[in-house]
Amino acid sequence: MNLLMANILLNVVLAFLVGSILFGLERKIMARIQMRPGPPIIQYLLHTLKFFIKESAFPKTAAMPFYIAITAMLSFIWVAAVIVGPVMGGSLLLIFAIYALHKIVEHNAGSSSGSPYGKLSCVRAVFSAAAELPLFAVLIIIYLKTGTMNIGSIISYQSIHGPLIYSLPLAAAMFFVLILSKAHYSPFAITKGKDIISGYETEHFGLLRGYLMISESIAWYMLLWVFLTVFIGALSPVGYLIGMVALTAVMAFISATTPLLNPNHSIMMQTTFAFVGIVGSILMIM
Amino acid sequence: MSQTLYLLYVLSFVIGSIAGLVLSYKKYKAPFVTRNVDVLALVLAVLGWVLALNSPLFGMVPSYISITVGIFLIAMVLGMRPGYGRYETITGFAVAAVLWILRTVIL
Repeated sequence: MNLLMANILLNVVLAFLVGSILFGLERKIMARIQMRPGPPIIQYLLHTLKFFIKESAFPKTAAMPFYIAITAMLSFIWVAAVIVGPVMGGSLLLIFAIYALHKIVEHNAGSSSGSPYGKLSCVRAVFSAAAELPLFAVLIIIYLKTGTMNIGSIISYQSIHGPLIYSLPLAAAMFFVLILSKAHYSPFAITKGKDIISGYETEHFGLLRGYLMISESIAWYMLLWVFLTVFIGALSPVGYLIGMVALTAVMAFISATTPLLNPNHSIMMQTTFAFVGIVGSILMIM
Repeated sequence: MSQTLYLLYVLSFVIGSIAGLVLSYKKYKAPFVTRNVDVLALVLAVLGWVLALNSPLFGMVPSYISITVGIFLIAMVLGMRPGYGRYETITGFAVAAVLWILRTVIL
């Protein structure tokens, strides 16, 4: 039991630190592409830690206690994702359920603050749920191909048949677009677009913002971990690190060179990717 | 065990970056404009990259210690005030990479 707890703690701390550094790296690469010096790589981590020593203020319009509880919920779901994924090697279905919960939390964090920016982000979170189609499609396609949703079994399948990225490239591309929508400054990041300040996070200050940022770091690490594990297979820690850095660099390049899309265009583009991905993948499996 | 070491390396990177940032802001009062190479940073970068990539060369020290120290030194230079440490990092990596190729491929 103690060993399991230590393993969970180790993986959560690792996910938080690596996720934060990757977010910092993304900003650094984006800055260099745009011919700016950019912030230090650990800037995101320093920002996160800074919020824990800042004063926590609560807007008068906030819906208590929901406004506070939502930050704890976001932390819990991503810690749960770490337990299901790297610690237990459990079901992929649970990871995707957690991702769906993340959407609900985004929605509720925005609406509970009472801020017009938060509410706009909340509406966009509902709107963008339509673009989660690739998520469920990926799940079904992987099941059709491997006959399992267990991460451990998917790894075993790949050790015999080779990485799924070769046999299901369109499913991998769909999942990549899904991760891209969670990257800061990406063309699909409509819930946190700078046109609505910081979206659903706008009215969360101090400690609460710190928890939101920790959760986002863990979420980023987990999404990259799932992509690498499900489409490439079990890697060594160095392999995961190289893969995560490479994926983050590609996303930074996309984010640096593309504007934030209008919500309608963002959703349409994601659903188009999904349609091509689903039809193409099913044709490839048949 | 490997995950514990992985955490150790990540922590070493974070602490090294913070140390590099704090010390470089004390050392350099102006933004990165003159584009000079800092000799001390260059030595630290070369030492760091060599220690991290060529730990078997230091047989008397356990590899995880040399890698941890190496990553700390790399992060110190890489984490300096924006712009500073850029040339030193590239030089350090190039020297360590040449040494790695000599050690693993040619010799």
